[in-house]
Amino acid sequence: MTNAIQPGNEALRRSPLHDRHAALGAKFAPFGGWEMPLEYAGGGVLKEHAAVREAAGVFDVSHLGKARVTGPAAAAFVNACLTNDLDRIGTGQAQYTLCCDEVTGGVVDDIIAYRFADDHVFLVPNAANTAEVVRRLSTAAPAGLTVTNEHDAYAVLAVQGPRSAEVLAAMELPTGSAYMSFTEATLGEAGLTVCRTGYTGEHGYELVVPAAEAGRLWDALLEAGAAAGIRPCGLAARDTLRTEMGYALHGQDLSPEITPVQARVGWAVGWSKPAFWGREALVAERAAGPVRTLLGLEAVDRAIPRPHMLVYSGADPIGEVTSGTFSPSRRLGIGLALLDTATGLGPGDTVELDVRGRRATMRVVRPPFIIPQVK
Amino acid sequence: MIPEQLRYTAEHEWVADAGAGRARVGITHFAQDSLGDIVYVQLPEPGTAVAAGASLGEVESTKSVSEIYAPVSGTVVARNDALADTPELVNSDPYGEGWLIEIAPEDPAAVGQLLDAAAYRQLTEG
Repeated sequence: MTNAIQPGNEALRRSPLHDRHAALGAKFAPFGGWEMPLEYAGGGVLKEHAAVREAAGVFDVSHLGKARVTGPAAAAFVNACLTNDLDRIGTGQAQYTLCCDEVTGGVVDDIIAYRFADDHVFLVPNAANTAEVVRRLSTAAPAGLTVTNEHDAYAVLAVQGPRSAEVLAAMELPTGSAYMSFTEATLGEAGLTVCRTGYTGEHGYELVVPAAEAGRLWDALLEAGAAAGIRPCGLAARDTLRTEMGYALHGQDLSPEITPVQARVGWAVGWSKPAFWGREALVAERAAGPVRTLLGLEAVDRAIPRPHMLVYSGADPIGEVTSGTFSPSRRLGIGLALLDTATGLGPGDTVELDVRGRRATMRVVRPPFIIPQVK
Repeated sequence: MIPEQLRYTAEHEWVADAGAGRARVGITHFAQDSLGDIVYVQLPEPGTAVAAGASLGEVESTKSVSEIYAPVSGTVVARNDALADTPELVNSDPYGEGWLIEIAPEDPAAVGQLLDAAAYRQLTEG
């Protein structure tokens, strides 16, 4: 057999929890310029995935970007740049939104925006895109507004799973916020933000804590979560969990070459807003209809879709897989693929996938592949 | 995790003398650990002729797929059908219940020419 073994790369950035992961026997992988845990000794993607679906898992996602926009009318400024309508939410709420290219409407990044106040918005972009998002916002920001890249200042720990509330309650952290809301809390003397957000499809929390406090929070979560069966979970399980939910991953299902109209994330666009980056291109594309559409694929037999595999209808190539994996919950191959809209293919139809020269039958579906439990 | 009595290939496969002119083939502990949780194993039917170095099947994990190469030329005489439903045996017991196939080598001396444990250890520990 052959398998690419990624060597350690000194240029990669590391989480403040790196030594703790190493002590837990983590395998590491490069992710958006960071060296992050892929899976843990004694765990592995299937066990870690199951822990999140059935009990609780804790992920170190400190590679995620952090940026802050402050100053008079900061929220109004962000709202005129990013796609979603920030006025759909109030103070103390978070929103999934997109930073699109002004000209093409392609997705520069997908972001969670936390509305702290009208003059204070906290953004969590993807690791690899943070500098670019900050650059675009800084360039556009009027005098009096400040856009700060705080990538290394905070760690982010995601606690996800049906027993996640139990874990936080044992630490006397607040658990009652509504989905996509957040609240300030303390652990000892450290302040942290507890957000009812996640990327797994389960009830869960994302905790944003100053980097210097990350170790103490990680230790406390594993200790308090022991009774609930908490497991440290790596990015491999995060990927199978998010794929089962049909959540897009930037760099695969979203990119500067893929618009929100094509990726079916138009729900994260405030179409009635007078201004946001890419508005002109996206309104036109929406009116004309996208040339390709992101849909789900489910294997009818033993095959696993992988990114860049071609999708066929008869002899004609009609699309390409953007994400794919084995679904541990469904025990079959699943994927997301951009399919030519003109074919008219949709949920219920079957297509064929070129799996290393062999044809595999796939059913077209509308994600998610599981029943969401986020609320 | 590199049993002394086995022979190895640079593609992280092991070969054992299974008696009666059969060579049993599997992937090493190092290989299964690198792949992560294995979810599908695809192997040739008994009777298939295989050539040393040619691909004869696949081992697929949630994240990646790896080809299995024939360590020696010969004919497939058995395959581990338990892996169809329990591919995780390759992870949990790579040198035992997780074996892949048995080959009747064309040249009975071919297995003895593969890497010994010391040479394979050197390869994985670099």
